[in-house]
Amino acid sequence: MDNLVFHIDVNSAFLSWEAVYRLHILGEKTDLREIPSAVAGDIKKRHGIILARSMPAKKYGVRTGDTISDAKRLCPDLVMVPPHYDLYETSSKAFMEILREFSPCVEQYSVDEAYCDMTGTIGLYGSAVVAANLMKDRIASELGFTVNIGISTNKLLAKMASDFKKPNLVHTLFPEEMEKKLWKLPVDELFYVGHATKKKLHALGIHTIGELARTDLDILRAHFKKYGEVIFAFANGIDVSVVSNEIPANKGYGNSTTIAFDVDQANAAKMILLSLAETVCTRLRADSVMATVVAVSIVTSEFHHASHQLTLFSATDTTNEIHRAACRLFDDLWDGTPIRNLGIHTSKVVHGTSVRQLNLFDMNRYERLSKLDTVVDTVRERYGDDSIMRAIFLNNPIYHMAGGIPPEKRKPNYGEGIK
Amino acid sequence: MFHMPVDVIATFNVQGKIKPNYIRLEDENHALQTYKIENIVFSREENFAGIPVMFFCCNVMLGDNMQMINIKYHIKTHQWVLVHKEDKISQMKG
Repeated sequence: MDNLVFHIDVNSAFLSWEAVYRLHILGEKTDLREIPSAVAGDIKKRHGIILARSMPAKKYGVRTGDTISDAKRLCPDLVMVPPHYDLYETSSKAFMEILREFSPCVEQYSVDEAYCDMTGTIGLYGSAVVAANLMKDRIASELGFTVNIGISTNKLLAKMASDFKKPNLVHTLFPEEMEKKLWKLPVDELFYVGHATKKKLHALGIHTIGELARTDLDILRAHFKKYGEVIFAFANGIDVSVVSNEIPANKGYGNSTTIAFDVDQANAAKMILLSLAETVCTRLRADSVMATVVAVSIVTSEFHHASHQLTLFSATDTTNEIHRAACRLFDDLWDGTPIRNLGIHTSKVVHGTSVRQLNLFDMNRYERLSKLDTVVDTVRERYGDDSIMRAIFLNNPIYHMAGGIPPEKRKPNYGEGIK
Repeated sequence: MFHMPVDVIATFNVQGKIKPNYIRLEDENHALQTYKIENIVFSREENFAGIPVMFFCCNVMLGDNMQMINIKYHIKTHQWVLVHKEDKISQMKG
């Protein structure tokens, strides 16, 4: 029996969810999906990019990732709404729940995309296209937003198919249809081919996916090494990965934050590092893992990226220890240029908190700090993140838990809104 | 413009069925008005954007006139809202 894989993709997810919320929960009259509109960040905090846009906004040339000022130039009447991450979580969960009713094997690929292994469901729902339409219409009538579904025999082709024409459509891309539907597309449409690869491929005279598929593999190997084999296989519709409904374990934990002003003082930067260490270590402790490698990344006001990492003497999940390591890295790395964005990333995680290499010199201190962290986590879980904070952050413009989704982006202020 | 939050007295029976009995809202002069819900025409469960809501279409007495209104109960937040009137026709069709 041939495999059957669906890729389900929510059409302009953040915007659709916001539109449905405003129509059905708040009772607004205008449907954001029918006017040029976008979900955008806060320009004052320098989070000024378009996160999602409606189909009418797309006609003006507004793209996801554009800056707000660029988007306004393209479309002066663009209606912009703030993000609402609590809603996106709720909507995403309800979406995945419906998919799980159709198939026992659902792989959530991102907040708004999933793969379903539909092999052998023909007796349940009929042919693949019938099943996909049933799924699509059920989501539209129950949850109020539209999706695209791509059907094929593997994940890659299904994903390519769901991207064809939007919105609210079902497409098939079986291997025998590749020549007709896939190969005529420009090469940068192919999954895994980004801007840099596109340039290199163009230089080799490869412009369409079909040309890539027919290129001699040795040429690609010579230019791209291992990666050449991957894109060659993808262009030929070969993908051996399977739909898996197990969530792979996190390999690393990191958070970063774009600061509302340029930071040019070391102690201010270190304070931001402390607030990042708070959130990263809270996440480590919540998953009961410890990290061995700590890395600090800096983006300067001129958008230069730099990062530096070190291996700790032993794995840890203590905020103070991670922060101390981050500060050491920061001192090594920073040359005094104003900073726009700071990040802490930890990797080489060790599972379980029981094993720890005893350190002769700060054994007692570790025990006490670890106990303190546990208590702080419990207090925050019960009474909210802001119920307890380090004294240094009191009356300080720097928020004490930076990184991730800040509270104001979870629930926008609708005035008298529900939720 | 928006759905209006309202106070409701409801009965919950042993089967878990919810029945709104009285609805209270502010009129144009900011005075509280209570209306008895005469009967429920139909009810259904909605889950738009993944937010579960119980939708009730019911009749209330406004003086001598019977008026049909739509109210929604938010299952997660336990709030009641009056669906805006112009919305009624589209809601009925849906």
